[in-house]
Amino acid sequence: MIGKEKILETLNSVLKKSEAEESEALYIGGESGLTRYANSYIHQNVSEHNSKIIFRVALGKKIGVCSTNSFKKDDLLKTLSSAQQIASHQKENPDFSGIPAKQKYPKLKTYFKRTADFSPIQRAEIVRNICDEAAKNELTVAGSFSTSQSEIAVLNSHGLSAYQPLTSASINLVTMSDDSSGYAEGLNRDVSQIDFKEVAQTAIQKCLDSKKPKSIELGEYDVILESTAVGNLLEWLCTIGLGAKQHQEGTGFLCGKMGKKVMSEKFTLTDDGTDENGVPFPFDFEGVPKKKVVFIEKGVAKGLVYDSQTAFKDKVKSTGHSLPPPATEGPIPLNLFVRGGDSSLKKMIKSMEKGLLVTRFHYINGYLDTKNALMTGMTRDGTFWIENGKIKYGVKNLRFTESMLRAFSNISLLSRQRKIAVPWWGDIGAIITPALLIKNFKFTGKTEF
Amino acid sequence: MKQAIKETLEFLKRKKVEYADIRQIHKVTENIEVKNGNIDGISCDTDQGFGIRVIANGAWGFASSSVLSPAEMKRVANKALEIAKASSIIKKELARLSPTEVFEDQYISKYEIDPFKVSLEEKIELLLKATELLRKDNRIKVAEGSMDFYKTEKLFASTEGAFIRQSILESGAGIMATAVDGNEVQRRSYPNSHRGDYATSGYEFIRGLKLIENADRVREEAIELLSAPACPDKTTDLIITGSQVALQVHESCGHPTELDRVLGTEVSLAGSSFMTLDKLNKLKYGSDKVSITADATLEGGLGSFGYDDEGVKAQRVELIKNGIFVGYLTSRETARVLNQKSNGTMRADGWNRIPLIRMTNINLEPGDWDLDNLIADTKDGFLLDMNKSWSIDDKRLNFQFGVEAAWEIKDGKKGQIYKNAVYTGITPEFWNSCDSVCSRNHWHIWGLPNCGKGEPMQTAHVAHGAAPARFRNVKVGVSR
Repeated sequence: MIGKEKILETLNSVLKKSEAEESEALYIGGESGLTRYANSYIHQNVSEHNSKIIFRVALGKKIGVCSTNSFKKDDLLKTLSSAQQIASHQKENPDFSGIPAKQKYPKLKTYFKRTADFSPIQRAEIVRNICDEAAKNELTVAGSFSTSQSEIAVLNSHGLSAYQPLTSASINLVTMSDDSSGYAEGLNRDVSQIDFKEVAQTAIQKCLDSKKPKSIELGEYDVILESTAVGNLLEWLCTIGLGAKQHQEGTGFLCGKMGKKVMSEKFTLTDDGTDENGVPFPFDFEGVPKKKVVFIEKGVAKGLVYDSQTAFKDKVKSTGHSLPPPATEGPIPLNLFVRGGDSSLKKMIKSMEKGLLVTRFHYINGYLDTKNALMTGMTRDGTFWIENGKIKYGVKNLRFTESMLRAFSNISLLSRQRKIAVPWWGDIGAIITPALLIKNFKFTGKTEF
Repeated sequence: MKQAIKETLEFLKRKKVEYADIRQIHKVTENIEVKNGNIDGISCDTDQGFGIRVIANGAWGFASSSVLSPAEMKRVANKALEIAKASSIIKKELARLSPTEVFEDQYISKYEIDPFKVSLEEKIELLLKATELLRKDNRIKVAEGSMDFYKTEKLFASTEGAFIRQSILESGAGIMATAVDGNEVQRRSYPNSHRGDYATSGYEFIRGLKLIENADRVREEAIELLSAPACPDKTTDLIITGSQVALQVHESCGHPTELDRVLGTEVSLAGSSFMTLDKLNKLKYGSDKVSITADATLEGGLGSFGYDDEGVKAQRVELIKNGIFVGYLTSRETARVLNQKSNGTMRADGWNRIPLIRMTNINLEPGDWDLDNLIADTKDGFLLDMNKSWSIDDKRLNFQFGVEAAWEIKDGKKGQIYKNAVYTGITPEFWNSCDSVCSRNHWHIWGLPNCGKGEPMQTAHVAHGAAPARFRNVKVGVSR
């Protein structure tokens, strides 16, 4: 960790040399360690000390972006100069609104020394405990456990100055027998808040309960999606239509549907980077404070996330959801919250005459028909048949092909309890969601295990 | 840093490591994206650093840093030792490597024109001209094009005495038209979807793609798809064009023959493999028309190199021979399980990642059919072109792929265009249904720059030589 003072001072001194009308520097750097285990031993164990400094400059509406991972002043100056050179070769971008003005940020606790100080030996000891628990049940385990400490800073020529240190701890765990598997995961900025025993027990129990899986007929089934499975689907919704860019290009699933009912009135989906019930972070990669955004309120399409450029085009304000420059993918939400309901996983199972419980999805793809949010993917690591209110047996994995507009319109129950689903962007956000009971979810294929 | 590398390896030997290697990498990247007549982004990136991999106490440790100094290298070496010590508290058996020839060598990939010396203006103009043609119809709501260039300088040194320098230059480009009409969105891409085609080559590769010459057709097909009927659900014969065959090879042969997946070490993220050890030399993976090789020596392939990131020389090996499963992609550690030497497929996505078994150029070897003759020989079916969506289970058995466009084949003639075609199957059943592969005249090495694997996630540049091929009785259409 370089520290706030040195990062801001160094970047400020470099930006002062800029000849561009507007200049911005983004710093992302830190240290991370990841312990990976399979067949109940550690087979990969890595650490990284790295940084990325991205300069974005504007000559009028001509933009140039250049980055380096060296924090040496000479390299920074060279990179800034390259960004200026790129800008000078650019055509004007009519959608460029300028680099953001000075901002104020909420105070959020995102750094925990316990996580920062967590050592490879401490990670290994936790993995050993998990392996020992699984071995008692004659199961093997695979997964990864990572801890990191980082700093993110944004400075620009309009006086914007943002800095935030952050830590993250994340674990995923697959338990395996000869013919079944189970899964559980955990994510928190504070490593001491992850209940590793619960993670292990959940994955172990799922593996034991799904032994001797049976194949079932394809068709539409009522399905209980646990929080990880819901998170898997929401990750793809973020990609194909919760950001303004997909909406502006006419490909997003909420295009032409704003203000209309698109999902069940039981479903409310928001993004809030400042909510400490999730994995908070105060600003985006342009230094704009994160604002709460409501996408779906009681089933009605309400809003999208914006960065400066997409906001300028729609004549609204940025919601603080920019990705790092050049951010050609447009803005995406990183701190999703689904409002909880009044049920519980137990009640959902009890209420179900015939149906399925899904722990997790694998290899979802949401590009089949983005306007209808049509997706396909496989179940994985714990799929169960429920009959007359009880889990009966494990089920061999199934492929779904389903429109999420249709599926989320068919929600009948949501659990009160919400859990963290770990998305691919786990260090800077998370998905907080209840389990969902969805009617008539379409399964179109099956596999042999 | 050469002296620091040698001194650090000596230091690690004194610490009694069983093995250590150091990779130092300097990589420069340039990306250009244009969209709807504007330049959406031009960016350049310089990334450098080193990683140290050790086996100590029979366990692995790896540490890396972007700070290039002798003192930092010493700190990182000690960190790698500390991590190996932590790993050793839960080891199953001692980490060991199969023997390999030790090289002191240099490899430079071939190219004619350095893309980093071609003016930005020329690159931008090419993309703007091609995408301007895409925009000639106002139903094309997004007309986009991109170019990517990578120049990687690698140095590999090990306690066994290897010292290898490599310089690899890669180039790629593509265009895509997205047509929108009401609730309908349809896309066509060229020369391939997902940012186009890539090669270990210079700017001459970009000029050879003929982006401008293909733009009118791409636009017209995207528009045609807006009013095309949805592909009907049926079980029928398919002729799949080369770029989609390439992805099929990637997902259903490349990944499941990675021996680390087979041995379970990728289970938690990407999954394992149905091609288990007991199936080697026994499984009838495909028909006798199906022969698949891994060839890292193919000139221009995006999966080509001189040496892998364990210092093993690039090789050509057979994975599927006349339909029979005969080989895996291996590393020095995993090859020991088969009493073999590594076939050189370990690559890392940068200095800050450990090498993993990665595809090289995984190729469906060409057959002897001409595409026109193959269509003429097909009574009833579809011609499917270019990937749109992809999904496969975690043992690589059940797959479902969507394509940008499908054409009906009726009585040997290509007819009506259809939208939203998807096909699905089980890997060995699918490859056993392959009765024809087109000839080398139709064979092309498709570069894929986005193969994901590992934790932390690594993206590999790989390629697949493929030609159009025919598959009998495949299930088409599950989306409606």
